[in-house]
Amino acid sequence: MGSYGQKLTDSWRIALFALLFTAGIVFLAVSLHRVQVERFSVLALDQLRQSVRRVQVPGPRGRIFDRNGVCLADNRASYCIAYYVEELRKRGPWINTIRAVDADVDRLAAELGIPRQISFAAISNHVLQSLPMPLLAWRDVDQETLARWAETVEPFPAVDVFVQPERIYPQGALAAHVLGYVGRDRPLPLPGQKIHFYLPEMIGKQGIEQQYNSTLTGTSGGRLIRVDARGYKHAVWEGEPSVAGADVHLTLDVEVQRALEKVLRGWRGAGVVIDPRNGEVLALTSSPTFNPNDFVPILTPGVWKRLNDDPALPLFNRAVLGRYAPGSTFKPVTAIAALRHGISPDLTYVCGGVFELGTMRLRCWNTYGHGEIAMRKAIEQSCNAFFCHLGHTIGFGPVYEEARRLGLGAPTGIDLPSEAGGLLPTGAWKEKKMRDAWRPGDTCQIAIGQGLLLTTPLQMALLTATFANGGTVYRPHLVRRAGLPEKLNTMAWSPEALALVRGGMHDVAELGTGRRVRVRGTSVAAKTGTAEVDVGGVRRKNTWVTAFAPFEQPTVAIAIVVESGESGGLTVAPMVHDVLAAIFGEAPPEERNGTTDTTAPEVRGD
Amino acid sequence: MLKSLLERFQRLNPLLFACMAGLIVIGVAFVYSACSVREDPELRMLYMRHAEMGVAGFVVYLLLAWANYRTVIRRWGWLVYLVGLVLLALVPLIGEAHMGARRWLFGIQPSEPAKLAVVMLLAWLYSRRDVKRGAVMFLLTVIAVGVPAVLILMQPDLGTAMVLVPTVFAMLFTARVAPRIVWSCVLVGVSAATLILGLIYTAEKSDLPRERREQLIAMTHLKPHQVRRLQVFLFPDKDLHGSGYNRRQSEIAVGSGGVWGKGYLKGEQYMLGYLPPSVSSNDFIFAVLAEEAGFAGSLTVLLLFLGLLVSGLWVAIRCQDDTGRLFCVGIITLTFSHMFINIAMTIGIMPITGLPLPFISYGRTFMLTMMAAFGIVQSVSIYGRESETRF
Repeated sequence: MGSYGQKLTDSWRIALFALLFTAGIVFLAVSLHRVQVERFSVLALDQLRQSVRRVQVPGPRGRIFDRNGVCLADNRASYCIAYYVEELRKRGPWINTIRAVDADVDRLAAELGIPRQISFAAISNHVLQSLPMPLLAWRDVDQETLARWAETVEPFPAVDVFVQPERIYPQGALAAHVLGYVGRDRPLPLPGQKIHFYLPEMIGKQGIEQQYNSTLTGTSGGRLIRVDARGYKHAVWEGEPSVAGADVHLTLDVEVQRALEKVLRGWRGAGVVIDPRNGEVLALTSSPTFNPNDFVPILTPGVWKRLNDDPALPLFNRAVLGRYAPGSTFKPVTAIAALRHGISPDLTYVCGGVFELGTMRLRCWNTYGHGEIAMRKAIEQSCNAFFCHLGHTIGFGPVYEEARRLGLGAPTGIDLPSEAGGLLPTGAWKEKKMRDAWRPGDTCQIAIGQGLLLTTPLQMALLTATFANGGTVYRPHLVRRAGLPEKLNTMAWSPEALALVRGGMHDVAELGTGRRVRVRGTSVAAKTGTAEVDVGGVRRKNTWVTAFAPFEQPTVAIAIVVESGESGGLTVAPMVHDVLAAIFGEAPPEERNGTTDTTAPEVRGD
Repeated sequence: MLKSLLERFQRLNPLLFACMAGLIVIGVAFVYSACSVREDPELRMLYMRHAEMGVAGFVVYLLLAWANYRTVIRRWGWLVYLVGLVLLALVPLIGEAHMGARRWLFGIQPSEPAKLAVVMLLAWLYSRRDVKRGAVMFLLTVIAVGVPAVLILMQPDLGTAMVLVPTVFAMLFTARVAPRIVWSCVLVGVSAATLILGLIYTAEKSDLPRERREQLIAMTHLKPHQVRRLQVFLFPDKDLHGSGYNRRQSEIAVGSGGVWGKGYLKGEQYMLGYLPPSVSSNDFIFAVLAEEAGFAGSLTVLLLFLGLLVSGLWVAIRCQDDTGRLFCVGIITLTFSHMFINIAMTIGIMPITGLPLPFISYGRTFMLTMMAAFGIVQSVSIYGRESETRF
């Protein structure tokens, strides 16, 4: 057996280890101090960064009101049935969790007796991309389903009701083209913040909804979600609150709008009512129309196809985008241009039923001719030959200049997202586009509102408003604003010239082609128009009436165009009458004139 | 009899015991914390397994403290070593594999008692008078340590095998075995480590062609996962979602604890699963502790370890024979190495090696082994102060 020695090892060697280990522990303490104390803020932030997800929550969208406070666009609570996927999490690959959710959706669909709305692919996308967010399995469910869900809640722990605001248009289709509609999209990113998820925000797609989208859209708030290492929601806490968008108050008057829409129902056409004193649009419509509520909560492909395939183009806003030849409603422009250009107000012309210029023959609607006719009478009777002669006499320049200054040929700048400018051609334009020289015939055509000239109903309403207010072109607008109305132009019209043209228009309503616009108790000035157009080989008449009232102190200017009408005086004048009657009220018929009023005044021609 | 028993237990080192007990209590508390988020009810009860092992270990501790270490080490040391060797050899044949490593045999990890066995064997060998402490002894040491070390490396468990190196060198140094060879070995070891790190650094940093870089990596003769760990150590931000993930997450856990921590059971890194639950209760338990108890908690643990190590070495200095002294030095160095490597790895200043934190990390075999080892250290405290009566 071996023997074991007494101590041969040195104690200092052991003490050396004590020193070494103490040094090691001090080293660790210093290192820990560096990590835990000095780098605390950095690493704590790193931890937040990796486990906190910011959700952008849009603010409630502002409402839209008419000038009297009637609500045109509001928000309602939409109830969705939502899945909180973290309650159904499964171990292993993601497909296990996706399958679990998918099976649960099937189970709930059977329980509630409603068809599935969400596909397997959509669930899969959600789990892989927006895991901590609620998965909306059924959107906008009705009260009955909601009640049934409340009874069966127990065996579905991962499901809850999720409320989100949804747009509603309480007046239905009223003023649909003005209001536009909303879609859902990702909200505008908040500056300087990293957003991981968002709740989709309502985005205006047309009309006021689009034009004033930034006003109506609130400021997004943030919600913070703590997620675990796999991305499941662990906890939620509110960040900065969202701010509601501002309301928009329109110049529109729902009563006027309703009257205007009523007269146009069943026709293809458009109408605009403007306050000539400031350019406020009181009503603006295009027919046929659509119901913006159909776009909520999401536009279904069926509805979209129906609206898009309709040959009457219900989504197309004819009032600002439709380009029509103004026909005879343009004649006051020719008249005032001539008066400004030195033509005597007493000028007469003998209308023989046709105006000949070289090889061109322009027929007056009165085939027998109007005989010798002066300007005021020519406006009243809408004599083509007179205005062709007038245009030919002064040339195209003055007519063009007057029309341009009245706002034709360019968008008026109304607060809508898109607007057509119409066409006010020039010689250069014709050279370029049609490779043809400007001929005197072109001038004659334009003098009577035909030929190459194209205008929008809004432009014609604006033009009428300018005659109504004595020569100020105000920018038409739909949203009420403080301060003085914006002037686009001031026409340098002499009072005599203006009085002559306005008098002519007054006579149109009293004696001439526009007699059917007459409203008992209110004096009206009007101008009818019938423009023949060739649409795909078919001759069609676009019929117009422009009018303003009351004649002495006008507060309303109106332009209505109807596609494929009989004539302005027959088709459109009664419409204008109905709208004006709705605005001003119509005095009851006087006994003496009762018989004459029951028979419609005979209106011939244009 | 009772009187002598009492007398003996009066010679127990109280600081050594108190520090160990404190570390075990902390360990149970934070294993509870770390496993409280597990879904599996058995895994949620992990802390109970840990506490049970503490109690069982305490019985072993008292028994071994009461027994004379001279008998235990000199008479049974070689037997413990042989049994350990057999168990280690059985692991590759009938062992159970978890997560790519075959380390378990009937629910125990033979590599843990093997560490204790190696220390016992060397303490016995070096204290024998009939053996010269020269080159032959060094060679003997290399063989005695090399065989279990190679078996452990084969599992593979690089950390456990590596922790033997400082332990053996501390014992060689204390016993003054072949000093010149020992110092040469230290020199070669340091140079090799520097060379390997240098190769990996060069391969990573310079813009050499890919084949050339792979050649450099191949020259280190390391396994791919070991190379990755060293790369992560040298370039912490390299692969935060892959091999650098655990390092990064434990660093965030420790750092976000701050001075006072987030509060008990309020650690977020393990709760949200960023610190993987598979490591949060064992190798990375210190990250859980540091996050919940902050720098204050970390410092408390360090002070307990300091008390444990210094009182252990104090026992060694007061011991009158080489067997006790060398055993204590070996065990204390082993404990320090474990602690140092584990904490340093947790805060990212050392490459990740799967080494548990003594008394705190969940690991039943390791717990029992360490308590047995410190039971023998207490035995040294009781019996070692008297010089041997038998010659």
